[in-house]
Amino acid sequence: MQFFGGSEISPSPPVPTASGNNAYMLYVFNRNGVCLLYREWNRPLKTLNSHQDHKLMFGLLFSLKSLTAKMDPTCVDKGNLGVPQLPGQGCSFHSFRTNTYKLTFMESPSGIKIILVTHPRTGDLRESLKYIYNLYVEYVVKNPLYSPGTPIRCQLFDTTVDQYVRGLG
Amino acid sequence: MGREVSESCLESLLTEIVSSYCNGFYANKPELAARRIEAIGFQVGHQLSERYTIDRPRFTDHLEAIKFICKDFWSELFKKQIDNLKTNHRGTFVLQDNQFRWLAHMSVDPSRDASASVQDPSAMAENKAVQATGMHLYFPCGIIRGALSNLGIPCAVSADISDLPACEFITSFTFQI
Repeated sequence: MQFFGGSEISPSPPVPTASGNNAYMLYVFNRNGVCLLYREWNRPLKTLNSHQDHKLMFGLLFSLKSLTAKMDPTCVDKGNLGVPQLPGQGCSFHSFRTNTYKLTFMESPSGIKIILVTHPRTGDLRESLKYIYNLYVEYVVKNPLYSPGTPIRCQLFDTTVDQYVRGLG
Repeated sequence: MGREVSESCLESLLTEIVSSYCNGFYANKPELAARRIEAIGFQVGHQLSERYTIDRPRFTDHLEAIKFICKDFWSELFKKQIDNLKTNHRGTFVLQDNQFRWLAHMSVDPSRDASASVQDPSAMAENKAVQATGMHLYFPCGIIRGALSNLGIPCAVSADISDLPACEFITSFTFQI
């Protein structure tokens, strides 16, 4: 995991890969599965209530991470399927794409999971997710008024993330 | 050339000072917590002004001392100068910083627009947020007061945050006749 230093937000935001509003939804979970942030920009069809939706998303990624790590052909040491993996252990799954959307995932060593659902033709968003994680550190973790483990209600974070994701294209 | 310390460490330490004084040592006595934090700031300001005036001649009057605080002292502490200085020419100076570094990461809950309940809970919540933010300003107030008192100018300093992240420090001198 890169170490981000400096008081300015770094790394500088990556150049948007296309124009227009490509992002559909953003989820941020902590290590215990609490959904810290859910933002949507473009979601025409909602099938579940939000609580179930968050649980489904968290469970999906938990299983996917585990499955991809166990199926890794290059890794020697594999536990049994179902043994929970520490962040960073095993190979790291980062995105999947369907014909209607692309889901990009990033997990920090502290267990913070960031999920961004976008248009299927979006490029590699890993740098963008790292930037969003850096925004999280600057405006949420360092905010004295925020208590860890609770849903994020920080105005600065909300506006910067919104601005950044809209510019992603 | 001075040694450097990580800014994140310093900010986390200050946050923790406020938090442990307000929620731990003086849990139900915010005035006492504020006074203790301000006293710590006073000591720090005292020593910092000693360090930063080391090669300078004595200040001729109060305005020179305040200008030192606004320019050199603030640049050493926050890498920028005070943006606006106002005075009423009767011993009160208002130092305004439009982007106070130690408040840069703080933000409050966005107001709940769909709350159908009484106005009071949202007003109370906003009040608590303002109060919590205000607690973080006692330390810089103490720093200014300590610095000025070390320069031979006893004063009282208070802070006002009308809108984050800009804040104003109001310094009032007691005139000696």
